[in-house]
Amino acid sequence: MAAPVDLSRVTFIVMRDMRRPMMALLLVYSISILGMTLIPGIEKDGKTEAMSIFHAFYFMTYTATTTGFGEIPNPFSDAQRFWAIICLYTSVITWVYAIGVIVHLLQNPFFIHALAEWKFSRNVRSIQTPYFILCGFGDTGSVLARGLSDYGWACVIIDENEERIKALQLRNYKVPMMGLYADASVPKHLLEAGVKRKNCKAIVAITNNEEINLKISTTARVLNPNIIIITMSKVEVVEDTLANLGGEVHIVDPFKTFAKVLAAAIHNPGFFALNRWLVREKKERINYHINPPLGKWVICGYGRMGYEINRVLAKHGVTTTIIDPHVCESEESNHYIVGRTTSKTLVQAKIEEAVGILAGTNDDGHNLGVLLNARYFNPNLFTIVRQNRHENEVAFEAGKTDIIMQPTLVTARKILFLLIAPLLKPFFFYLLEDKVGRADEMQNVIESLKTTIGDKTPYLTTINFTREHSKAVIQWLDKGEDVFLGDLLKHPDNRNNLLELVVFIIKSKNEFIVLPKEDYKIKEGDQILFCGTRRAQCLFNAIINNEYKLFYTQTGSFMPRSWVAQWLAQIMDYFSDRKLN
Amino acid sequence: MNLEKVIFGFFIVLALTLNFGFFLGEMDEIEHHNVLELFIVIVVNLIATILKLGDRSQIGAVLLATSLVADLQLIMAAIYWTFAVHITGTGLTPGLMASIVSLSGGALLANIISTVILVSETLMSRL
Repeated sequence: MAAPVDLSRVTFIVMRDMRRPMMALLLVYSISILGMTLIPGIEKDGKTEAMSIFHAFYFMTYTATTTGFGEIPNPFSDAQRFWAIICLYTSVITWVYAIGVIVHLLQNPFFIHALAEWKFSRNVRSIQTPYFILCGFGDTGSVLARGLSDYGWACVIIDENEERIKALQLRNYKVPMMGLYADASVPKHLLEAGVKRKNCKAIVAITNNEEINLKISTTARVLNPNIIIITMSKVEVVEDTLANLGGEVHIVDPFKTFAKVLAAAIHNPGFFALNRWLVREKKERINYHINPPLGKWVICGYGRMGYEINRVLAKHGVTTTIIDPHVCESEESNHYIVGRTTSKTLVQAKIEEAVGILAGTNDDGHNLGVLLNARYFNPNLFTIVRQNRHENEVAFEAGKTDIIMQPTLVTARKILFLLIAPLLKPFFFYLLEDKVGRADEMQNVIESLKTTIGDKTPYLTTINFTREHSKAVIQWLDKGEDVFLGDLLKHPDNRNNLLELVVFIIKSKNEFIVLPKEDYKIKEGDQILFCGTRRAQCLFNAIINNEYKLFYTQTGSFMPRSWVAQWLAQIMDYFSDRKLN
Repeated sequence: MNLEKVIFGFFIVLALTLNFGFFLGEMDEIEHHNVLELFIVIVVNLIATILKLGDRSQIGAVLLATSLVADLQLIMAAIYWTFAVHITGTGLTPGLMASIVSLSGGALLANIISTVILVSETLMSRL
């Protein structure tokens, strides 16, 4: 791709505007030089000699730039001095004028923007590793970018806010994050972000504007039929359009996601903590159990969050009382109180008998107020509170609630999982299925995570067993031998020890193998998801890519590396074979 | 009539005629070629180049290219001259003058092309 059209157009304008100062400089220089070569110099041996063109040019070079070496090569005559004064003032003023024009042109906002755009697309083209495009860099976007950086994934960010893109350079990401300040819904900018490139794996459209998200998604799909699209949506009509774009499209709704997790927590007390531990929630311990009580709940604010939570609670047979200022036709009046949540309406909702309360309006101050009011009447309530803005974090943490729900965080984490661990969804789906023994299986997973990883930071890792990403394993398979999963989990320094990781799920063709056993035979094209420490992740990568390490974990002996050692090994084999015969 | 067109044509043709004037004469005869004339040829050529900047059309690009070629050749000739007279100290010899004039001859060719393009473009727009 050549430089964007904008830059070449702007460059021409800059060049055209440069004509006048360049012309002025040229004229001043040539007239000055010409004058110097014509004016007679000082008398020497009865002859007057004017300067040569070369010396005149030299004189002008140091005079016009105000360097001023003096009268070189010979002392000047008064006529020459008079001309030198004129040369000096005109040339210096011309330079000032020329520099002023150049600086003014370089400050032209269109020129600067065109240059930034050109640099951006050049940088994007230099990315060799797989990367994602992130459209929208608000609260959600920055949390997501931080998460991706922690996992070592590069990102290309487009946002309409210039300040946010500028701030990007000040954040200490571990991988390069490129930013462009532009409207992401313009196809040209998506092309510059490399939407058609092969190593661009996914595009995340999370701007504040529903319409723009839709436009980004459709444009991306038209430009690249294989790209994964992840977006947010609040309107059902838009969701329908998105779902039928074709290819892989994920629509993230933080409230639905949260409601699902809450529902899971009602039956599987460990799950909620597991989920939060995997996303590395601050201070979260894996063996922490959260147990939303079954009983009467009060829901304050019947927006999207209230609606989803109410649905989930109702499904689990919990009776709810809703307090909302808007009249809702579809809800029965006996548990729907119209009005703002105040102590009066709370009493009306019989808060003293309730076991839990949800403060889920889109006003942070109101949510905190509801929480304090409700506690006044009933200090033992289980509390869920919605925190809309990241900046209010301190106030919410001081509120000592059971669950703080931040829509931006929930969205960012959900998208992060979709990007780096797509197999987590079928894994959780399996664990949460309403079948006998699943709750115990989950407990086992939590226990083994606790023993293998414990207090260390968990890393979710997805690895494809392809020629590119696991050279050694595929070589082994090519030889017609089996590679057992159990052998890959051994420590390459001492195979009696195991790596600090827990394998969650393997996707083989279209089949999911949840919690695979050690005797699982790896096939080419398998995709594996495991959770381990950073170190375990590195070692695992080493095993599947280094034939010597793989040989050791498979057989327990060391493969000879050098030619001489290989030759010796062959001789040893030969003799030991003879001995046996 | 357009004043810009007049100035534009004037400098392009002037660059050609001055260049021709310098080129005229016996190649290796030092007396036939004046240093001031070369200086003015260079200045006028540079003016012509600057006037051609910023034209986005295809013809504008070719015009600019021919001008740059002429500038390059003439500046090479001037540097050659400067080296001979001031730096190496050999002074002007007929052989050196022949090289300088042949360089300016190349520039002359570029200037002829430039003028031909200018004239043919004008004729095309007249038709």
